[in-house]
Amino acid sequence: MAKIVCLVEAKDRNELENYVSKALGLLDLKLNKKVRTVVIKPNLCYYWSAATGYTTDPRLVEATVNVLRENYGQHLDIKIAEADASAMRTKHAFQMLGYTKLAEDKGIDLVNLSTDPIEETKVTVNGLELSYQIPKLLVEADLFLNMPKLKVMSEVTITCALKNLFGAMAYPRKLEYHPHLNEAIIGICTILRPHLTIVDGLVALGRVPSRLNLIMAGEDPFSIDWTAAQIMGYNPSKIKFLRIAIKEGLLDPKSITVLGENIEKFAKIFPRNNYLTSRIAYGLQLSLLKIYNRVISDSISKAFEES
Amino acid sequence: MLRIGFIGLGKMGTLHLINAAKHGNVIILAAADASKRRLRNAAVLGAKNLFSDFEELLKLDLDAVVISLPNFLHRESIELALENGINVFVEKPMARTTEECRSIVHTVEKSGRKLMVGHSMRFIGMIKEIKRTLDNGNLGELEMVTLENIVSGPFSHGDIPQPVPEWWFDPEKVGGGALLDIGYHLIDLYRFFAGDCHLLSSHLKHKFNLPVEDAAIAVLQSDKLPTTGIVHVGWYQQMISSGTDMRVILHGDYAYISSEQFAPSNIYTYAFKEGIKNVFRKIGGRRIRPLTFSHYDAYDQELAHFFYCLENDLEPSVSAIDGLRTVEVIEEAYRRDKRSPKGE
Repeated sequence: MAKIVCLVEAKDRNELENYVSKALGLLDLKLNKKVRTVVIKPNLCYYWSAATGYTTDPRLVEATVNVLRENYGQHLDIKIAEADASAMRTKHAFQMLGYTKLAEDKGIDLVNLSTDPIEETKVTVNGLELSYQIPKLLVEADLFLNMPKLKVMSEVTITCALKNLFGAMAYPRKLEYHPHLNEAIIGICTILRPHLTIVDGLVALGRVPSRLNLIMAGEDPFSIDWTAAQIMGYNPSKIKFLRIAIKEGLLDPKSITVLGENIEKFAKIFPRNNYLTSRIAYGLQLSLLKIYNRVISDSISKAFEES
Repeated sequence: MLRIGFIGLGKMGTLHLINAAKHGNVIILAAADASKRRLRNAAVLGAKNLFSDFEELLKLDLDAVVISLPNFLHRESIELALENGINVFVEKPMARTTEECRSIVHTVEKSGRKLMVGHSMRFIGMIKEIKRTLDNGNLGELEMVTLENIVSGPFSHGDIPQPVPEWWFDPEKVGGGALLDIGYHLIDLYRFFAGDCHLLSSHLKHKFNLPVEDAAIAVLQSDKLPTTGIVHVGWYQQMISSGTDMRVILHGDYAYISSEQFAPSNIYTYAFKEGIKNVFRKIGGRRIRPLTFSHYDAYDQELAHFFYCLENDLEPSVSAIDGLRTVEVIEEAYRRDKRSPKGE
């Protein structure tokens, strides 16, 4: 069965509702049951605004809310949900990034997934057993809508639909999963299955933030990430968590069909990040600092780093 | 040997402790913090007695304490230390309000002890050079001072992610936003160049919907000179670049001077050169300098100045009055802002 990924150009920020409608139209979304409850999971990884490319633009969420209510009725119960992260506290992110105001304006509930009911779940991925605190809200929603960003991330190369689901885990110290982040991303995606993903690529984050003016949509988050990697200029088959997804039978690249705009249109303007150069430069700096520290005993000490 | 205690071991407290440990005439007699982990770190850095309650630390026979607590604990800890006959170095801002500052000034006078506030920007090498140029008359009469510093403030994201301490989100506990946090430094610098001043106008911004301002512009006027000042501060930038988004420009009626004239063209080359210099300092048995452009060296210099004043019974160059005068200007800006919790 074909996995559809839609690419819509979204140049005019006043027309976001039309772009979202266009994307959903291309997708021809058919939900199995009548939708009463919707949970939207944006990416609010820290307190930086959407213009920096780090967090989901509340204007796109608002446009999506309007489109959903047009399609499923004005009395649709919509919640926006995010979980605390190692450095981010959801209550502050909602306030600082404009989601509190959006919720007031639109009659939406804001939910901190780190304080909501959870279910402890274990899965084995790539031979590694992983345990997660899964928010029940995301599993029980009639429509679970994933709204990630399009970003690069040094640890796993790209972050989009799948990594945003990792961010939905209730446990705040997500840093503890980082030694096995590729497996951890795929592990949670075997449990949390969004019905729909709408990617905020209005401002994407590569080497620098860039107005990519892109909205992506699809039902399969694995196919979304495969396509996102191509847009960001990477060979998706070389991205470890996508390779694991193929190995686990969660992703079949051959089944992906891209509708709407061409991948190349966005790929040629995405500000690629050259990991090789930055890793070499960082490694060199670190080595020099270590030598200096050994000779002088003056660089910022371990005690200070951990304070 | 000076017997020093450290109260508060957050980022700044630990930094001061590291700098003090390098000072030849200092014994780090004690450290106090609510966090056991931070106290363990302080012990590694040489602190001999550890306390979870700073009042216990103040019972020791100390020459001075270095206070780096959250803003809402400044007045209480400063006054308790002074009343116990202990000299005080306190991180900026001296306190949250003019009322608290006046009380501290009164306690300093009554105790006869020394108090220095961490107005660290006065100790940055390029600032000292700018001040020297001004005092030498090389700029003519000072007409305009422009000061800008845009940072991430409390929202800086370290390599080891930690949540922003909750007191930063409490307007009562923090006492103010970017103007009290960073503007405090710049208003003090304006006073450093042009003397006491008053507020002509101000505009506070609330990009992040916080109860306190996350950016501000203040226009100042010197009480005795024709000098006008513009202060622009913000907490809104991520600070991912290796540079520092700070500018100090003095325009006189003969010439001008800008901090950008002193900034290294390449921070990495600069750090490499400084590292080599430190290697030679180490070989020569001299005191090494922190390996960072601008601010970190200033933290080292300001504390060294405080210790020097204690050893030689001199008054520190930054007094409680400096803290009070700076907070007076900030409070006036808050009074004029309707969105500020202190607005009228």
